[in-house]
Amino acid sequence: MQTYLTADGLTVGYRKKPVLSNISMKISRGSIVTLIGPNGAGKSTILKSVIRELSPLGGSVFLDGTSIENYSDSDFAKKTAVVMTGRPDPELMTCFDVAAAGRHPYTGRFGILSKEDKKKVLEALELVQCGSLAEVQFRNTSDGQKQRILLARAICQEPELLVLDEPTSFLDVRHKLELLEILKKLVQERNVAVLMSLHELDLAERISDYVLCAENGTIGRAGTPSEVFERDYIAKLYGIERGSYLTSLGFPELPKVDGTPKVFVIGGMGSGIPVYHALNRAGIPFAAGVIHENDMEYQTVEALAAEVISEMPFEPVGERAFLRAKELLESCEAVLCPLKLFGTMNERNRELLRIGTGLGKLRQINLDKSDSGDILNYK
Amino acid sequence: MDKIKNHLFRQKRKSAIPCRQPVRWIAAILLLLSMICSGCSAKTEESPSNITSAHNWDDMAPVGSMDLLYADQFSVEDYGDDITLITIGESDRFLLLPENMSAPDGLPDSITVLQKPVKNIYLVATSAMDAFIRLNALDSIALSGTKESGWYLPEAKSAMEEGKIAYAGKYSAPDYEKILNSSCGLAVESTMIYHTPEVKEQLERLGIPVLVERSSYENHPLGRMEWIRLYGVLTGKEEEAEAIFKQNVDSLSDVLDMVPSGKTAAFFYVTNSGSVNVRKNGDYIAKMIALAGGTYVPENGGSDENALSTMNMDFESFYAAAKDADVLIYNSTIDGELTTTGELCAKNQLFADFKAVKEGNVWCTGKNMFQETMGLGDMIRDMNAVFTGDTEGSFTYLHQLK
Amino acid sequence: MVSQTKRIIRVYLMLLVLLAVMSFFSLAVGSVRVSAADLLAVLEGKTENDMIRHILFDIRLPRMLAALILGGALSVSGFLLQTFFSNPIAGPFVLGISSGAKLVVSVFMILFLGQGLIMNSWGMVLAAFLGAMASMGFVLAISKKLPQMSMLVVSGIMIGYICSAATDFIVTFADDSNIVNLHNWSMGSFSGISMDGVKICALVVAAALLSSMLLSKAMGAYQLGEVYARNMGVNIRQFRIELILLSSILSATVTAFAGPVSFVGIAVPHVIKQLFKTAKPIVVIPGCFLGGASFCLFSDLLARTLFSPTELSISSVTAVFGAPVVIVMMIKRAEH
Repeated sequence: MQTYLTADGLTVGYRKKPVLSNISMKISRGSIVTLIGPNGAGKSTILKSVIRELSPLGGSVFLDGTSIENYSDSDFAKKTAVVMTGRPDPELMTCFDVAAAGRHPYTGRFGILSKEDKKKVLEALELVQCGSLAEVQFRNTSDGQKQRILLARAICQEPELLVLDEPTSFLDVRHKLELLEILKKLVQERNVAVLMSLHELDLAERISDYVLCAENGTIGRAGTPSEVFERDYIAKLYGIERGSYLTSLGFPELPKVDGTPKVFVIGGMGSGIPVYHALNRAGIPFAAGVIHENDMEYQTVEALAAEVISEMPFEPVGERAFLRAKELLESCEAVLCPLKLFGTMNERNRELLRIGTGLGKLRQINLDKSDSGDILNYK
Repeated sequence: MDKIKNHLFRQKRKSAIPCRQPVRWIAAILLLLSMICSGCSAKTEESPSNITSAHNWDDMAPVGSMDLLYADQFSVEDYGDDITLITIGESDRFLLLPENMSAPDGLPDSITVLQKPVKNIYLVATSAMDAFIRLNALDSIALSGTKESGWYLPEAKSAMEEGKIAYAGKYSAPDYEKILNSSCGLAVESTMIYHTPEVKEQLERLGIPVLVERSSYENHPLGRMEWIRLYGVLTGKEEEAEAIFKQNVDSLSDVLDMVPSGKTAAFFYVTNSGSVNVRKNGDYIAKMIALAGGTYVPENGGSDENALSTMNMDFESFYAAAKDADVLIYNSTIDGELTTTGELCAKNQLFADFKAVKEGNVWCTGKNMFQETMGLGDMIRDMNAVFTGDTEGSFTYLHQLK
Repeated sequence: MVSQTKRIIRVYLMLLVLLAVMSFFSLAVGSVRVSAADLLAVLEGKTENDMIRHILFDIRLPRMLAALILGGALSVSGFLLQTFFSNPIAGPFVLGISSGAKLVVSVFMILFLGQGLIMNSWGMVLAAFLGAMASMGFVLAISKKLPQMSMLVVSGIMIGYICSAATDFIVTFADDSNIVNLHNWSMGSFSGISMDGVKICALVVAAALLSSMLLSKAMGAYQLGEVYARNMGVNIRQFRIELILLSSILSATVTAFAGPVSFVGIAVPHVIKQLFKTAKPIVVIPGCFLGGASFCLFSDLLARTLFSPTELSISSVTAVFGAPVVIVMMIKRAEH
């Protein structure tokens, strides 16, 4: 994969005030590079500088070997297409018209579309699954549809580099996924280079070949998702103080409720997750155990529980863990056991359940708040 | 590397579509051409005759000229054979030829040819109407630039009522078709036409000669009156015109010979916004007051070329200048006639403080005053009567406010 | 897609027919009755009736052509600015052009004429044109400092206010007659334009129209906003200047020859866009020209015949007939 877009010592900003300095990046064709970073870090600024919407304050950007300053307007248009955050509101334009605008660099003096052009427009619309909307007025479509039509427009421009600024912002989860699918297709089938910014870290982690972090006036970590996405780093990058970020799952978690645990949860296999969330919402500090470190709910319970008793992966629950769990269980007011499956590794959790029942502390789990009484069917 | 140097903000980029430039150049050149063309003035109608004429302009010379007593804005020269050359102002020249005579060879384009009898006149200059009435020459007028309701001269009003004279649109937007359809022989315009030069040009393009009368530029009020002699020439009633004029002047001689009464008089009206419109010093009304034996106040600097000139003063300055004036004359043309001093004071309470108001010496003009240009003599006589205190007799144009 | 093309063709045909009808009536109707027989005789060249010939060729024809050309120019000018500002009430005079023209005309009328300097009609045309282009020049100069669109409109309005204030200042020193004259001029009229004037108008307007058509592709891109237009290869800076220049030349020409004529530039583009059901400049620009021409011919016909021989001011007629049409249209559109 040859390097298509390179920036070296690039400084970007508005009106001589730098926002990000000394940026270096390399983007190859057939890859997706995502910019992440907190609000105001300068992600949009970088993108605008790459597409010549803003002039760089220092350094240079090279596209396909030539500095972007040296491209004519029409040559640059044939190489780069954008989907930005601004939402145009043209009157009396159909979705076809909007998409067809992308053919601008290829049509003649009066912008008349050839048969070939029209075919490409329809193909682009099909690709974004808006083929049926061709004759509909652009103004009458939903935000998600508009976003996809604008992507179709960019596709019609047949770019070698596609630049997108938060393209998934207004989309529901289904359309988010679909859009990213389309980007993947473009990258694979047409060898397009994609440079975009995303707020959704979970998506960024999944879709990107490379990730760049905009932090503190420069680019921090830059590399593959596994190199970049690390719990403490993300928390630091975004300045998360209340709450945490669960990297391998790729989503954030609310801050835990501190205090002496009132409830002991016997969980595992993911069954505890709804309970942890419910207790967290109710503001009740809890303890949980014994959860294996490779259990799927481990990261969640570690983030939310006041104390969690864990065991090594693939090991049966050991003495130390069991005794600590028992101690905590006895000190709590109530016990919840969403766990239904006991096997060799967590046999001792069944013992904990028996202890809890024996002490009369076991409660029914009632997650529906609309019933009178609280979520634990307390009192 | 040099590649990686700081690019300045205003780095030039290649233009997207260079071929758009030629069209813009074409547009720019066309604009330039059109602006250059503005120097060209409209061509005037060529002399109508191409038949060899009995006369050659280069051989022609005046054998006499009209002896004007007071007017200096026009002249009439006799070239013999009933051919007359009329000059208005500095440069507008008209050659009046008898019926059936063709224009002389070699006549310059700048001289407009008029053929007797001059008929179906389109009269826009209101001050000329009175002269035509006195000369009994109303039948040479077919079209008027003032509506029937705008005339205070009863003869003009009834002529329009009877359909003998038709309204043809105001000076700035005449009904060309109507004018053309009436076989108009001459348009008599006032200097207002200079603000809408395209109208003059259009009339000339249609073959209608335009005479712009300049009686408002006459310094002497009697000079304004003397224009009846010009209209006499045009209508073939030269002698009657001379007689009427001389008669008017003679009847004034006793007034003109009188010792000035020394009374001061102001001539004004109050505008909508509360300021006072007064005559400038060089104005003919101010001069009429002087001829009538009075002195015009307020004295303000600047006599304009155009003797028909007024200016607006704020009430305070007018008060200072005119509160001790002996006589106040209110100009009713704009506002309407006043009948009592109470009405005057209603316009501004301060009027009650004026000497003339306190002594009951406030007068008002009739609406017809300005249109009856031949009655200037009577107007002077009226004023004189006011100044000399001879208020028992009848007045033509002034009435006293009660 | 086919129905769109069909629609476009149909609307064009309709506009052409309308223009032909309006042109015919403009020539056929006037204060003097001209019968069809007379008309034919004159066209065939065999008539001794000089008067009819004069009426047709020297009075009605120049006026009809002037109303046609200038009406079309106004409407295209309005469309250009409405696209540029994405503002439906932008009109050809939003950049303060008519105020600038009025200012220079008032200077000529009141100061120069007052000193005894006499001008021919070309002088008045030049005065108005200079004033209009000067206003435009100021707005362009300001636009370099203010990149946003909305600021441009504000600066245009401010220039308009400044010019009006200056005009009022000059008027204070004017005679009543001068004030009346200036007022008459600012009402706008197609009367008194010579055939020479019509030729100049035709040349300038044709050149500007052609240039607008060449700009139509960039305009279409611009309808999606500046960012996308730039990305598609439109040189925004050059585009802005060209658009303002073209629109100003068009409206300056109208103001120079006919005075300020209001409303045509605001209303006609809306109607045309609704008829075509598209805002594509390449389709709408010629349509606006035809529509504006017909509308002005119609309005001028009414203005000069309704209360003949008194002429109504053209702006009052265009507003009285135009405004209700636009209101009805807006309501209908909202109902969709």
